[in-house]
Amino acid sequence: MILCRRKSNPVQNPKVSLRNEPYLIINIFFAGVILLIIAYSGIFPPEKDNYPVICLHEKLTGEPCFSCGLSHSFSLIVRGRIDEAYQWNRYGMRIFLFFASQLILRVMFSIFYLKYQQTRQQLIIFDCVGSGVIFLFSFWPFIANILSGILRPTP
Amino acid sequence: MEEVRNNSGQNLGIAALITAIITFVLAVIPCVGLIAIIPGIIAIILGSVGLSQAGRNNSPRGVPLAGLIIAIIASMISFSQIFVAGRLVGRGHKWPTNIENFVNDVQDNVVKELEDANVSIKVESDGNKVEINANSDKKDRENKLEDLEGVKTQKNDTLPKKK
Repeated sequence: MILCRRKSNPVQNPKVSLRNEPYLIINIFFAGVILLIIAYSGIFPPEKDNYPVICLHEKLTGEPCFSCGLSHSFSLIVRGRIDEAYQWNRYGMRIFLFFASQLILRVMFSIFYLKYQQTRQQLIIFDCVGSGVIFLFSFWPFIANILSGILRPTP
Repeated sequence: MEEVRNNSGQNLGIAALITAIITFVLAVIPCVGLIAIIPGIIAIILGSVGLSQAGRNNSPRGVPLAGLIIAIIASMISFSQIFVAGRLVGRGHKWPTNIENFVNDVQDNVVKELEDANVSIKVESDGNKVEINANSDKKDRENKLEDLEGVKTQKNDTLPKKK
C-alpha cells in the first residue's frame, strides 16, 4: 500500500503537499468524522431521548441488541455522567474511548508524518497495526456477538 | 529512464478507503450493521473503478486495492449481521411462554407473600376505633372475618333506594 508517494516539503507549499499525501487526507477526514460524532453526542440531550439513529436490529427482531443505548451513553459521557452511561450501555465507554483515542492518534500521526519524512512508511504500518489492535479491543464484544451468530446454528 | 506515473484513480482510491473504513466500523455495530451494506457496496464500486483506472494509467494501485479489500470484508461482516438477527428471531417463539411463566411466578410469589404477612388495619370514625390484626395463621384471619361480619356495620351504600 503506497500512502506516502512524494517527499514534499509541506512547510514551503502546504496546498500541494496535502493533495499529494493520501495519508494526511484520510487522517483529516477521519478526525472530522470523529468530531462530528462527538458533536452529535453533544447536540442531542440524553433527557429528551430523540436520537435520529434507530436500531434496525430491534425493529426486525423485537429484542434490543448489544449496541442499543450507545448514542444515549455517548451523550452522557460527553456530559461527564459516566455512571449513567454505563447503565445505558456497558460497552459505551470503551467505544467512546476508541473514537477519542483515534482523534488524538490522527492528529499525532499527522504531525509525526510531516515532521519525520524518513520514517513515513514505518509510521503508516505502526498506525495500521496499532489502530487495528485498538479497534479489536474496543469492539470485541460486538465482534464476538457476530462470530457466535455465524458459528452457532439457529435453535 | 524514470517511469512516468500519474495520479489517476488515486482520488477514487482514497474515497473508497475512507468509505470502506467507515463501513467496517458501522458493520460491527449491531444497530446499524445491516445498513452498512449500502456504503460497503459504494466503497466496492469506488475501489473497483479506482483500481481499473490506476491499472490503465500505470499509477500506484495500493490505495484503491486496500479500499476494495476492506470494503469487501466490511460488506461481508455487514451481511453476517443477518445471521445474528436470524438467531434472535429463531429464539423468538419461546418468548410468549417465557413471559407467561414469569407472570405466573410473580403472581404466585405475591399470593404467598400476602398469606404469610402480618396485617394490621386500624379504622377510626367518630371516636369509634376498630383494629384488625391478622398474622400468618389463615384460620385466625378467617375467625376475625367471621367476627366482623357478625357486628352490625354502618352502610356506606350511596346508591338511591329502589322505589
